[in-house]
Amino acid sequence: MTSGALFWTITFAVAGVLFFGIALVVSIGGISDLRDLLGKSGRRKSKP
Amino acid sequence: MNFGTIDWVVTIIYLVGSVVLGIWAKRYVEDLAGYMVAGRNVKVYLGIATFVATELGTVTFVYYGELGYVAGYAGFIIGILALVAYSTVGQTGFIIEGLRRHRVMTIPEFYELRYSRRVRLLGGIVLFLGGVLNMGVFLVFDGIFLSEVMGFGPGAVAVIMTVMILIVIAYTIMGGMFSIVITDYMQFVILTIGMLVATLAVLLRVDLASMSTAVSQTLGAGGVDPFVNPRFGWTFVVWVLVSSVAAGALWQPGTSKALSSESPAIAKRMFFWTGLTFAGRAMVPMFWGVAALAFYGTGLPTTAAMPRLLGEIVPTGFLGLLVAGMLAASMSTYSAYLLAWSSVLARDIVGCTRTRDFPEATTVAVTRVAAGAIGIFLLVFGLWYKIPDTAFQYIYLTGAMYTSGALGCVAAGLYWPRANNAGAYAALLLGAAAPAGFLLLEKSRDVLPGWLWFITDVNIAGMLSFALAALGMVLGSLLTQRSSPPRSLPSVEHT
Repeated sequence: MTSGALFWTITFAVAGVLFFGIALVVSIGGISDLRDLLGKSGRRKSKP
Repeated sequence: MNFGTIDWVVTIIYLVGSVVLGIWAKRYVEDLAGYMVAGRNVKVYLGIATFVATELGTVTFVYYGELGYVAGYAGFIIGILALVAYSTVGQTGFIIEGLRRHRVMTIPEFYELRYSRRVRLLGGIVLFLGGVLNMGVFLVFDGIFLSEVMGFGPGAVAVIMTVMILIVIAYTIMGGMFSIVITDYMQFVILTIGMLVATLAVLLRVDLASMSTAVSQTLGAGGVDPFVNPRFGWTFVVWVLVSSVAAGALWQPGTSKALSSESPAIAKRMFFWTGLTFAGRAMVPMFWGVAALAFYGTGLPTTAAMPRLLGEIVPTGFLGLLVAGMLAASMSTYSAYLLAWSSVLARDIVGCTRTRDFPEATTVAVTRVAAGAIGIFLLVFGLWYKIPDTAFQYIYLTGAMYTSGALGCVAAGLYWPRANNAGAYAALLLGAAAPAGFLLLEKSRDVLPGWLWFITDVNIAGMLSFALAALGMVLGSLLTQRSSPPRSLPSVEHT
């Protein structure tokens, strides 16, 4: 493997870990945000 | 045919789930802010999910995959530039914080606050044209991707695409940003799983050493060095960096996520963390493209090589997951873009032809009609337009048509007290001139005089649009300070 290809492969690995790592955290944390959004909007809408 | 029964089951479950969820969300829409910016109640995690889902369509995979196939690792620089640009916008709050504080729903709305209603109208027209042209080719690439991955002919794929766009139009028209945020979350999870499946399949079937060999044998030093690669070079790198900052802060579908956030502070965090995913957003599909180069060699249609590889190496069952992931990616992008451009058409173009804004209910109604009309236009435009250069460069150039002028207008409007109406007009018109010139003249290069050939270079046209817009804003404002005194911004919320 050439040094240029090695450099970009390592960069790709870091970028991939960052992407999928953030995606995992966001997928879990997003559920409570979603509940919160719907809760707030539901309450706002039910007010006379 | 690559697609098995189990793949169909997964895909159909996903499509039905999207319809049910998107239409169910309609119950939460009660007013204009609810329809356009989800009542400004979106928090960080959900904001990141919807932002990433919006900015990752099947078209994104196709144009980055194509770059990996034709330019090797050199294109990976785009991921680094995007990461730097978006996370810097998030860290500093450049533009997005100011826009969120002013509680605008569309970017041209800011033009009226800072300049005039006519500037808003012109800005709305340029944004709408650039945005719809940009989005016009998405369906073509989705069709290429699905046709290669699923192994069907273009006829069957056209039916799937039409069904998909009709579903998106239906839930976007009914539920606006609420439907988008809720379906985006589900689509974000599914598209991430699809990307993971594809990446693992590539890593298992194509070894890293053969990818390196293929790149060095086919492209030489240009395959790893973006400054040596003839497609890129310094002009391209500078243009993409500036363009990414401008798009990060001012691309309506993405910026609307900041405008939907609970506060300016949350908008900044959302942008920063989303920015960190942008290297992966570019590099993962480019990596698939490089793998396609190693697997097949050169000679395939450039946009089809990467999807063909995935169709061949991803096993049945997982292929359904991949296709559902790609459909999710497309649907989340279409919905956000449809709402963004229809909002601009309703509020900033149709609305601005009157002296006063429409009532809220009328604006929502006009937005819904516009979303339907834009969706139909996409189906028609996507069938006949043949894009110049690579898909990536077309997408960035049509984006620059608007973002270059907008960068001048909004950045100067927020941070330079002497910016005025004349400067705003000059920035918007000059910013659109170079990309429009490229799109009109690129196909007739041979009949142009030699001194005009530079306009048919996509990288120069893109870079020029930002330079001309900045020049227009500065000179236009400085030369007309007396005849057109600058207007100051109203006071805003602080959190």
